[in-house]
Amino acid sequence: MKLLKLSRRAMLAAGAAMALALSPLGVQAQTPEDVLIVGQIAEPKALDPAAVTAVNDFRILMNVYDGLVRYKDGTLEVEPSLATSWDISEDGTVYTFTLRDGVSFHDGSAFNAEAVKFNFDRMLDENHPYHNTGPFPLSFFFSAIENVEVVDAMTVRFTLNAPYAPFLSNLAYPTGLIVSPTAVQQHGAEFGRNPSGTGAFKFAEWRSNEAVVIEANAKYWDGAPELQAVVFRPITDANTRTAEMLAGGIDLMVEVPPVALSEFQGDTYTIHEQAGPHVWFLILNAKEGPFADKRVRQAANYAINKEAIVNDVLEGTAAVAAGPTPPAFAWAYNESLEPYPYDPDKARALLAEAGVEGAELTFYVTEGGSGMLDPVAMGTAIQADLQAVGLTVNIETYEWNTFLGEVNPGLEGKADMAEMAWMTNDPDTLPFLALRTAAWPDQGGFNSGYYSNPKVDELLEAARAATDQAERARLYKEMQVIVQEDAPWVFVANWKQNAVTSDRVNNFSLQPSFFLLLGDVVKN
Amino acid sequence: MAGYILKRLISALPVLFGISIIVFVIMAMIPGDPATAILGSYATPENVEKLKRDLGLDKPMMQRYFIWLGNMLQGDFGRSFSLNRSVLDEVLDRFGATLILAGTSFVLCSILGIAAGVVSAARQYGLADRAITFAVLLGISIPSFFLGMMMILIFAVKLRWFPVSGMWPIYGARDLYALISHLTLPALSLAVVATGVIARLSRSAMLEVLRQDFIRTARAKGVHERSVIWRHALRAAMVSIIPVLGVQAGFVLSGAVYIEMVFQWPGVGRMLVDAILKRDILLVQGGVVFVAACYVIFNITVDVAQSLLDPRIKT
Repeated sequence: MKLLKLSRRAMLAAGAAMALALSPLGVQAQTPEDVLIVGQIAEPKALDPAAVTAVNDFRILMNVYDGLVRYKDGTLEVEPSLATSWDISEDGTVYTFTLRDGVSFHDGSAFNAEAVKFNFDRMLDENHPYHNTGPFPLSFFFSAIENVEVVDAMTVRFTLNAPYAPFLSNLAYPTGLIVSPTAVQQHGAEFGRNPSGTGAFKFAEWRSNEAVVIEANAKYWDGAPELQAVVFRPITDANTRTAEMLAGGIDLMVEVPPVALSEFQGDTYTIHEQAGPHVWFLILNAKEGPFADKRVRQAANYAINKEAIVNDVLEGTAAVAAGPTPPAFAWAYNESLEPYPYDPDKARALLAEAGVEGAELTFYVTEGGSGMLDPVAMGTAIQADLQAVGLTVNIETYEWNTFLGEVNPGLEGKADMAEMAWMTNDPDTLPFLALRTAAWPDQGGFNSGYYSNPKVDELLEAARAATDQAERARLYKEMQVIVQEDAPWVFVANWKQNAVTSDRVNNFSLQPSFFLLLGDVVKN
Repeated sequence: MAGYILKRLISALPVLFGISIIVFVIMAMIPGDPATAILGSYATPENVEKLKRDLGLDKPMMQRYFIWLGNMLQGDFGRSFSLNRSVLDEVLDRFGATLILAGTSFVLCSILGIAAGVVSAARQYGLADRAITFAVLLGISIPSFFLGMMMILIFAVKLRWFPVSGMWPIYGARDLYALISHLTLPALSLAVVATGVIARLSRSAMLEVLRQDFIRTARAKGVHERSVIWRHALRAAMVSIIPVLGVQAGFVLSGAVYIEMVFQWPGVGRMLVDAILKRDILLVQGGVVFVAACYVIFNITVDVAQSLLDPRIKT
């Protein structure tokens, strides 16, 4: 009896505890004023710009560090940042930068030419005492650098081994951000968790798997930020991220899934969109099989209904791509390019002309991956469109890393087409790595479809060596016309990056670089 | 008893050794490597080669295995590529979070499940039995991740009683109150299915015991019915309920993977999923070995508990 009474009491207590736990714990508190809470897509790897590769990490880094140059607001053109001016030698191999005076790192040490040299030597020189704070996976962005010289305290000179036009935009890329040598010396391999830069915000705290907190740098050379602090929360699940935004747990959410956008209509939220330097395409195997014939490659471009893909599958989160270069590179984009129209009859006619009606194709599709948007649904839509003009398409689906392992070594003997997407910081990068003859997989490039056109090779080589932006633009524009006509790819979509902010957030805008810049943002 | 425990512990060593080989081979065989995963679009053969060298992945497989095993035996699980952090620190942090979630859930489902099973058996075919059986069927049939998402929508987004995700508030005190408010929804979502299973099996275990002679004797002796059920019958039925609890504890622990994803609970399950996608070899290997060791220890504990309850089982 005694036991029974006790257990009943215990049950009651347990019940009461449950009821308490279930009862409203008070409506969840609002996020604090002047502190912006950002819903990120993953836990960052490190806050060392030389050591990381993910856009997710760049979003934090761009607010903590500055580079010698940066992208002008709303464009992909470089402007001065930590360097106030620069001079390029006639042959395009020597860059001399004049540095900004009076800038100091968050740890108090001074920014100067020695610091710049330290940064690039650390990344590139295997004998540098702090090279072991790597690995530095993207150091090849600067592999053209032969040496870095300190001319005087505020002047630094880079000598390249060959003219390399993308050098300046690579300096604007996160890999080129300048870290504090003092902090690297102090923390060694742990620098990535104890970062120090010159940026608008300084690092405050990193709680693993919970939050990275950065605080306003009141002494920022370009004007102190409006916010007191920014908190980056890793929320990998897109549905949960959406729920956090709806529940008020975050103020700014990046990479909103297309299907969730409708949740944010109305006055409480603002949806931001910005087309970026991204292109989603199909690599066609130009070496063998039906796509060895240009007419068949063009037929595929006509047969696929890109409007339907961007509007229905992607819910308007992308625009139809016209050629290999994304329009976000406004200065290098050929405005006169029109996308291949959706014209199944023309596609059928071209296929008949080439004599490949009813051909069977193998199509590599990935389940997901960086910049791949909604690859399975898109792949299925593409399959249906090609089916409609009489091609039999067999889809083979792979997980992302496996997929890269199949596609990057080349499609020969395996497949006729494969999905792919690239996001780059310079109009040079993608065509140079994926469209030249010298970039076939056996030579270490990404031209997995074996496209080859000597004229295109020539234009791309010339553009890389040119130092004048207008001249480069002319060469890229000519290249785009030829590549569009040759159709080594099916040009499908340019992704628009999106973000949602709550009505408490003002002065926020997305950048075409896909970086997240929070220096001017205000929160009420 | 000490000898028995020691014997079980020694026999666990080959199991762990086998697991370390299996997880190592699987990570070495799956397509895609960490260098490619890190470089993404920029994974040229040349870049991959260089990065592999920097990461120490260019050595032969056998050599890598023994380096890893040797280091691990000295307590060094290596450094995670994707988090740039000691694997052991990360696993311990994450395992703590999983234990809080799975432990709470386990206590919830054990208490609720046994109580429901006992009540059900005591009132066989009565109204309470029918109601409980129906509720249990419903609970078993709902996938926990779906239930979790529905809970978020209702209790966090619409009613705003609980936070959506995470373990601690971003701002404010990290006290028990804060933990409970973050823990409630995921722990409940995780407990529902296991509660159903435990309730079903407790019911049948109790029904079997209630038909036995010593129960009739107790009733004939005039023992109060409540005492017959909760004291005499339940104690005897526990022998068959405890192994079920052991199985369900494993189930709750593995089910935590989904729940951790949905509620962004910083546990070891979510860590492993992320690590596999990023091909973070050392983190996956270290995490799996650690979790496996915990399973083994847990199973031994259950067996020991059972042999304490029922001396006949001891072998």
